[in-house]
Amino acid sequence: MTIEGRYLRNKKTLTDEDQQKLAKSCVAIVGCGGLGGYIAEELARIGVGRLVLIDGDRLEVSNLNRQIMATELNIGQWKVEAARDRLRSVNSEVKVESIKEWFKEEKGPEMFREVDLVFDALDSPATRVELERVCHRLKLPLVFASIAGWFGQIGVSLPGDFSVLRLFGHGERGVESTWGNPAFTPAVLASLSVAEGVKLLAGRMPALRRAWLQVDLLTMEFERFEINNT
Amino acid sequence: MRVTVKLFATFRDGRFKVEEKNLSEDSQVLDVLQLLNILPEEVAICLVNGRDVKEQHVLNDGDTIALFPPVGGG
Repeated sequence: MTIEGRYLRNKKTLTDEDQQKLAKSCVAIVGCGGLGGYIAEELARIGVGRLVLIDGDRLEVSNLNRQIMATELNIGQWKVEAARDRLRSVNSEVKVESIKEWFKEEKGPEMFREVDLVFDALDSPATRVELERVCHRLKLPLVFASIAGWFGQIGVSLPGDFSVLRLFGHGERGVESTWGNPAFTPAVLASLSVAEGVKLLAGRMPALRRAWLQVDLLTMEFERFEINNT
Repeated sequence: MRVTVKLFATFRDGRFKVEEKNLSEDSQVLDVLQLLNILPEEVAICLVNGRDVKEQHVLNDGDTIALFPPVGGG
């Protein structure tokens, strides 16, 4: 449904030209849980034309504390289908493709065939590194974010950067396995990711290339660190 | 020699945010980890004066060490 005035409040943060660029863009969100759900919601609301949602998981009760796509009525549903259903009622102008599979390196070229930008909303450090590798090979910009308890990290990796490898190259699991993920952390980190992603789609410079923002919601400190390719 | 140690995220739990430490000459990052009861495999990234280093990195007087645990959830 085309609704006159839908994007009125995007002005003048986004120009008409920016808005048209978003409408013509196709964005992949890898992982449709806490982070991915909010990322998809915001991209649909702001007016990105096509979304490719990738997640091989179904909704469960423990997702209700933080995942915007989870409700008491859709437990057991595929996460990507629950997201598609919700997004249809938020912005039916957005084309949503739901892929009920886990991301794997060898599937990347097929999954990202018409994609302009990728969001890493995964929960496995090893798969994050694989995703960055695929994005570099396909010359796709990547916005990555991760969460654990009160804390999060977010940055941008453009082809040739190895930000994700630097940050996630060691260890199998993060401290989220003991600290969990409360409602507010994915919402904050997803919003920061979308802000960077929208700049990339509009052809502007992202702020967090070769860097990451360390977010601490306990002390409310946001600190930027550089990632040196040496 | 004196170094400044900065801890982030869950590493602050039961420890501190920032502290100065006295170390013997030729100490490595590994010695700082031992002092703080942090295992090398618990560290996702270690910066010394803003540069990414390994745990065998030898420290100098006045260095600032920043230690981050892995934050991997989505």
